[in-house]
Amino acid sequence: MVLLLTLFIPLAGVLFVFLCRQPHVVVRAALTTGALEIAAIGVTVYSIHSHGVLNAGQYLRADGLTSFFLINLGLISALVLVYSSGYLRHVPEGRFSSLRWFYGLVFLFLFTMVTVYLSANLGMMWISVEATTLASALLVGFYNTEGAVEAGWKYLIVCTVGIAFALFGTIALYLAAVKGGVSPQSALDWGTLMAAAPSLVGGRELLKLAFVFVAVGYGTKVGFVPMHSWLPDAHAEAPSPISALLSAVLLNCAMYALLRFDAITSRAIGSGFSHTLLLIFGGVSLAVASLLMIVQRDLKRLLAYSSIEHMGIVAIGIGLGGALGLYGALLHTFNHSIAKTFLFVTAGNVQGKFGTLRMERIRGMASSLPWTGGALILGGLAITGMPPFGLFVSELMILTAAFSTAHYFIAVLMLAAISVVFGALLHHFQPMLMGKPEDVRVPTTLRASEVTVMGVCALCLVVLGLHIPAAFAAVLRGAMAVLQP
Amino acid sequence: MGLFETAAAKALASSGVFLFMTVLLIAAAKRTSTCIALFSLQSLVLTAQIIAMSRMHHSTEGFVIAVMVLTVKVVAIPYALYRIVEELKAPRDVSSSTSSSQSVFIAAGLILLSFFAVRPYAGVLGGDQAMLAASVALVLTGGFLMISRKKALMQVVGLLVLDNGIFLAALTTTFGMPLVIEIGIVFDLLMGVFLMGLFVFRIRDTFNHVDVSKLRRLRG
Repeated sequence: MVLLLTLFIPLAGVLFVFLCRQPHVVVRAALTTGALEIAAIGVTVYSIHSHGVLNAGQYLRADGLTSFFLINLGLISALVLVYSSGYLRHVPEGRFSSLRWFYGLVFLFLFTMVTVYLSANLGMMWISVEATTLASALLVGFYNTEGAVEAGWKYLIVCTVGIAFALFGTIALYLAAVKGGVSPQSALDWGTLMAAAPSLVGGRELLKLAFVFVAVGYGTKVGFVPMHSWLPDAHAEAPSPISALLSAVLLNCAMYALLRFDAITSRAIGSGFSHTLLLIFGGVSLAVASLLMIVQRDLKRLLAYSSIEHMGIVAIGIGLGGALGLYGALLHTFNHSIAKTFLFVTAGNVQGKFGTLRMERIRGMASSLPWTGGALILGGLAITGMPPFGLFVSELMILTAAFSTAHYFIAVLMLAAISVVFGALLHHFQPMLMGKPEDVRVPTTLRASEVTVMGVCALCLVVLGLHIPAAFAAVLRGAMAVLQP
Repeated sequence: MGLFETAAAKALASSGVFLFMTVLLIAAAKRTSTCIALFSLQSLVLTAQIIAMSRMHHSTEGFVIAVMVLTVKVVAIPYALYRIVEELKAPRDVSSSTSSSQSVFIAAGLILLSFFAVRPYAGVLGGDQAMLAASVALVLTGGFLMISRKKALMQVVGLLVLDNGIFLAALTTTFGMPLVIEIGIVFDLLMGVFLMGLFVFRIRDTFNHVDVSKLRRLRG
């Protein structure tokens, strides 16, 4: 019951928003729906931890891993909705771009992502991941400028092709399961597959083939190099709240799908193959993205490449495996989501004040916009993994896992990449903060919505950096128990 | 085996050849509308295959899927694409970066390649080897069309051909997935094509052309 509520509140939100006429009523309706959804997610998470796995019918299922990712989705979407209420002041009027369409599409997007998390069936999961692309393509192209249209088109085409490969992988896994003696009707059911995995060892070659295709397919959506080409464009051209949603929720959504496949494959044929593949994708993404960050000119593109880099780190954590690697990887997805939301909100403010995101045109923020400038420093330190922020802890865990499992090359690569990123951010942010302002504008004060969002993010980052609350640690352990039974 | 079953098995055996033909013709085609018609034909071959297979397996679900594919892939999507071509009033050639004859040679090469590619898996996967090769060939040529054709609509056609390949792979190896999932996949495809059509109009309105190879603003 509660699963159905969690699933259908966003869908009801779409209708709700379209029924409203006045802009301020639309915003209020959106915030109310958001609050209801958070409550539903809260109840779901609570019941998962008191009753174990929840099922609703044949196709909906929620376990510890779902709960962890739902918390991530709930927190970030709440922040994004609050931020959007102040951000969208002058919406370009046009087909599919008005305040109502914005919120309508956001709720549709949230609905598809919740479906991914609640799918019991790998086929349904594929359908929902594809639906996330469709729901968000219009949001990427929301501003209808040349760049936005191009980014939207690229996003649609690249992700659809990528996801098609994941379908092929899903079919191959289905075939392996059917050949392994699972009944065709339940051969895509995750619970059934996980239970039957040890008996699928006969289909070794087929399972390997399946995982390669799934890794490429969902990897496109995660943003692994070299399938990442859609990601910087989409993140840079979308409105800032949407960039935050893409980076902090959508990428995790695709990573979640990969985690589910990885768990089945590892259980069936041992973790060697799938984990090596993840290490390769992670390592390449980390290395390439960190180097490309040096040459970026647009603030949001810089942040987009940083997302690729962090997804690489998460993939490395999963690839290293073991309790520490996986714990670090999960924690890192969460930390990265918060830090990236914080930075995209900051970038949105910078764009609002300077009217541009070109970094060479942004100068003297320390004097003209002290608070936003301070936020940029704080976010920069957090995203590069400095203590006392959460990312330091999770990166340290993954590094420790790398050293303790004798993956020295990966460890060195990771350390080098993190230093390069630190240098790149310093190189970009220093003149933006300290340089002479080109045109002096009256510094405007921050909106209450912006302060709230930034405050919550900063608080979460510091808290997670100093001490992981017991309840959250329990959620993380619950998620790991699902993947490594 | 009754007469109908024998006919079905024969149709199945020869449909691989039909699929290879549509692939080569699409590679050779010079107009977008020809490609759309050929895609429709290709989907029709697929539908025939589904009917033949469901007859052989005595499954009713198969007929539902056949009807769905017939309405969506043979009629609805090609019709919608054809309307878009009419509405766009843009030059109708596919503007390929390879010439027509080169494209045919490349497509033929890809077909050969796909026969080699499926050979190691033929034992494991079961199913007809020619059919598996056809599905890989469709995926490869779909990808090739998307890379070499510059018109936005041709990229959609390439994607659809690629999707047909994956559909065929599912059909020949597992005789389809559970019905609900199949319906979801086709629904996603329909929505996807609808959105892509929308974006094609947006590209035309924003840039005054539909040549995606000229979309080069966002780089690096």
